[in-house]
Amino acid sequence: MPKAPVRSKPVAVAEVILPRVSPLADVAVQGRFGADRGAPGVTFSVRHPLSIATVIARAGKGKATAQALAEYEPRWAGPDQYFVVAQGRGEGALYRELKSALDGIASVSDQSHGRVIIRIEGPKVRNVLAKGTPVDLHADEFPAGKSALTQMAHVGVHMTRVGEDAFELSVFRGFSESFWEWITEQAEEFGYQVR
Amino acid sequence: MTSYRLSSGGLIDRTASLNFKFDGKSFTGHPGDTLASALIANGVHLMGRSFKYHRPRGVITAGAAEPNALVELREGGRKEANTRATMIELYEGLTAQSQNRWPSLDFDIGAINSLASSMFVAGFYYKTFMWPKSFWEKIYEPIIRKAAGLGTASKEADPDKYEKAYAHCDLLVIGSGPTGLMAALTAGRSGARVILADESARLGGSLLNEREEIDGDSGIAWADGVIAELGSMPNVTLMPRTTVFGWYDGNIFGAAERVNDHVIAPSPYEPRQRYWRIIAKKAVLAAGAEERPVAFGGNDIPGVMLASAMRTYANRYAAAAGKSVVVFTNNDSGYRTARDMKAHGVHVEAIVDSRSESKADAGGVPVLRGRRIADVGGKKLAAGIELDDHTHIGCDAVAMSGGWSPIVNLACHRGGRPAWNDQILGFVPPDTGKDFIVAGAAAGRMLLSECLADGARAGTLKGKAPATPKCRDEAFAIAPLWWVKESHGKAFIDYQNDSTAKDLPLAAREGYRDIELAKRYTTTGMATDQGKLGNVNAIAILAEATGKSMEQVGTTTFRPYYTPVSFGAFAGPFHGHHFQPVRKTPLHDWADELGAVFVETGLWMRSSWFPLEGEDWLAAASREVVATRERVGICDVSTLGKIDVQGKDAGAFLDKLYCNTFSTLAVGRARYGLMLREDGIVYDDGTTSRLADDHYVMTTTTANAAKVMAQMEFAHQALFPELDVTYVTVTEQWAQMAVAGPKARATLQKIVDGLEMNDQSVPYMAALEVTVLNGVPARLFRLSFSGEHAYELAVPADYGNMVARAVMQAGDEFGIVPYGVEALSIMRIEKGHVAGGELNGTTTAADLGLGKMMSSKKDYIGRMMAQRPGLTDPNRQCVVGIRPVDPQDRIRSGSHILKDGDRPSMAADQGYVCSVAWSPMLNMWIGLALIANGRARHGEVVQVWDGLRGHKVMGEICDPVHFDKENKRLHA
Repeated sequence: MPKAPVRSKPVAVAEVILPRVSPLADVAVQGRFGADRGAPGVTFSVRHPLSIATVIARAGKGKATAQALAEYEPRWAGPDQYFVVAQGRGEGALYRELKSALDGIASVSDQSHGRVIIRIEGPKVRNVLAKGTPVDLHADEFPAGKSALTQMAHVGVHMTRVGEDAFELSVFRGFSESFWEWITEQAEEFGYQVR
Repeated sequence: MTSYRLSSGGLIDRTASLNFKFDGKSFTGHPGDTLASALIANGVHLMGRSFKYHRPRGVITAGAAEPNALVELREGGRKEANTRATMIELYEGLTAQSQNRWPSLDFDIGAINSLASSMFVAGFYYKTFMWPKSFWEKIYEPIIRKAAGLGTASKEADPDKYEKAYAHCDLLVIGSGPTGLMAALTAGRSGARVILADESARLGGSLLNEREEIDGDSGIAWADGVIAELGSMPNVTLMPRTTVFGWYDGNIFGAAERVNDHVIAPSPYEPRQRYWRIIAKKAVLAAGAEERPVAFGGNDIPGVMLASAMRTYANRYAAAAGKSVVVFTNNDSGYRTARDMKAHGVHVEAIVDSRSESKADAGGVPVLRGRRIADVGGKKLAAGIELDDHTHIGCDAVAMSGGWSPIVNLACHRGGRPAWNDQILGFVPPDTGKDFIVAGAAAGRMLLSECLADGARAGTLKGKAPATPKCRDEAFAIAPLWWVKESHGKAFIDYQNDSTAKDLPLAAREGYRDIELAKRYTTTGMATDQGKLGNVNAIAILAEATGKSMEQVGTTTFRPYYTPVSFGAFAGPFHGHHFQPVRKTPLHDWADELGAVFVETGLWMRSSWFPLEGEDWLAAASREVVATRERVGICDVSTLGKIDVQGKDAGAFLDKLYCNTFSTLAVGRARYGLMLREDGIVYDDGTTSRLADDHYVMTTTTANAAKVMAQMEFAHQALFPELDVTYVTVTEQWAQMAVAGPKARATLQKIVDGLEMNDQSVPYMAALEVTVLNGVPARLFRLSFSGEHAYELAVPADYGNMVARAVMQAGDEFGIVPYGVEALSIMRIEKGHVAGGELNGTTTAADLGLGKMMSSKKDYIGRMMAQRPGLTDPNRQCVVGIRPVDPQDRIRSGSHILKDGDRPSMAADQGYVCSVAWSPMLNMWIGLALIANGRARHGEVVQVWDGLRGHKVMGEICDPVHFDKENKRLHA
């Protein structure tokens, strides 16, 4: 007879670490590629495994949501919408934590597996990104911490500047391989490294 | 061959030599040369043949407007036809071929057209190829097509890469002559983000071509100083070899950067060209002005060129256009050519000035005032001239200047029309607003000092414009002269298309009095140079012929592209492998391991069938169906759209979106939903589950996932903003697999953690949150598209392959098979489930047999419009089953249904077959069809007529559920 819940209650598993496989596991091969002119123009790395959640404020709760998220360094993803990203958390842990912290204030959806975040950094990072996005990436217009929803090579990209010369590009998992092939090709002329 | 290279001067590097070939002959030039200047320096003046008469032609210009010296550059896959020799930077190993000639440039059979030139007047094609009508398609058009065009395209693939990129700036400066440099310098010094773009390899614009004096130094030295300063500013980007070709909405400019056109092949990893979209807060058009030819007999003979081109070749490239020169001008600028050529040691016979007076400095060259050149002698090289008073003067080169046309093209790309200016005799730009400023010669300023001041003003983004450097001005005065009517020979207006001055009055006489009509009738301005040289002359001649003013005639429409842009640049990297992105499901690797054949579904790659050795698609799909129905199968359904719907009004929102009700759905249960468009037609369907009071997960069809999301955005924002609801796509978060068949439960039971699966714990339409494989979170739905006892299992995507492999292992003892979308489709047709073929944008819920789903207790999108008489007509086509009367027959999708005995006609049409499949369970072809009043016609024998394939069989209308009508298997 049923031992486990037949209704919708999350199975109580404390921070289980499970063997997640990145869709770029066989694609993002480490090494030095493209033109060899001294230091690499950019360095790519795949941030995996990662916990990602979308947070969308409920009606009239925009401010409350922003306040509740202050400590999470939320990434803007639309009016009253954010991505929250965390590293080193167990399966579903961030989602559950946010869900309880934001109960009645915002909707939370787990996207940890649905999106792949590619980090790109280095002196030529803006030149590479300019081949894809129409967003102005000058530091005066797009400082560290700012995010934008954009499109590169026909793929929707959530882009965040995480440092002076460092950006993170979040794409749907299904497009990640195709996008990886495209963006690394755009970096070939500057020489790139995959870490 | 005599050298026409001047012994000193020029911006060429004489210490290095470059070898190149033109029509197979070897030559040498220097870095800094263009192909045109190197050919001139080598004494090669004949560079091409004209389009219609195949007349021998040399260069007319030294720049972007060149209509004559068009060549095929490079060979093989890199060959580029119709490339302007004046714009090709010379490089080591360059090869070029002349075009539009046979067998050779020197002896061209096609020149015989010239003998029949009285026939080839304006409108020749329209007049000649009219009769007999039947000749057009088979005879005339192929001949004209063959004769048309200049160079030939390569049939090989281009091996090079092309790119696209975006740039942003406070100020985009287009053109790097005195105006552009001054604008860029002023803005750059103020700290603004500046982009300076110029089509040439070397910045400096006209300062490189002329002998100017600025700040007590040469114009070139001043330009080099400014460029060095700009180059040192981090806020300034210099873009040489970049043609800004268009001005678009939002102050966005298109530009083509020729990154590697000046080398034999790009270095590895570098593109040949880059297509830029430059988003400019402000922009300055400092494109300068284009000199105009004058129409006189033989104004196209090699050796005749624009006066500015002749001095550019001498000043910039140290190449003399001839040994003995005559200058013909209607304005002061022609005098510069005479003085410059003389300074370079070239003999100048005379200046022929059409005006009776001029204050310009002839530098000691004799001036024949009030005279005009009527005709130029010679065929492949100018050999003397005859004036309108029949005086003969010997020479081998003629410099002509008919005045200057401000390069207003970009300023007119968004619809503005230029205005005629009687002072400078040129069209000046329209009002382009405050964010796009036309400055310098492009705005009709003819003095250097005016250009510098204009540039400084345009580059001043705030505050007062700075003082400009002192310079020496060359006075400018002009009197109209368009056409020397005393000419005997052909006087060309549009060189490339061979339209002559006489063609325009002819066009006017024949009724083509509007400039746009005259253009098309005479082909003036329709060549690759798009009338940059000849259009103003054409307008003037048409104005005279029609008794109108220049202003009244006006110009033709200026459109992008300013100069031709290669297809490669437009395509950028988006061809071949990158034509569109590929979207892979989280179960892709699992399916691939099992030998799946993938099919593109939108961008998705879906596993279509899993062939065993020797199986074709039908054998594989049939085997997969039988195995699933007899035992158990697993199918990747991850592509279905999944949307997380949350909030206290989530249920109310779904009630608006779907025609049936979801607010009453119990937590832990799923329900099939049908969505209508506002017009009452079915939009999409799918299963939506309730995970918590304020949390649903909706599924959509693969094809409509994004569209449904957009519909939700619209519905919430525009129609029901009062609802407290949020929605976000979670399609990619989940790997989802259907596990179907009599052994589905037994298979899944082996991997689901701590849940005894039975009809009570997991009833039909259950939607549960569980874990599998010791802790992998999962959602378990008891749903069926196949009609079997079936489940859908969703796990976070990174675990997808692992879990699917585990399901395969668990089902091994039962003989599990993977099945693809082909088998899925066969099974749904066997069960009469509707899908894309039936949800095709023409059907109502009732047409699909789902009319009862339309709630009468609530409002929803599409409700009102679905009640229109046309949508409730009982005679509408509705979904029925169709099967052949003779089970050996095959029915085909798309076939039309006709009553027995009727002949095919629109009136007799009863409907059509929308889905067919070979049913391995029934051993025959079966289908679903949309047939008028079909539900009342079960059992009727009809013709299934396929006009496309010329195929007709007899079919029987039947219930859409072909297999397991009692739905026993679903609950087995």
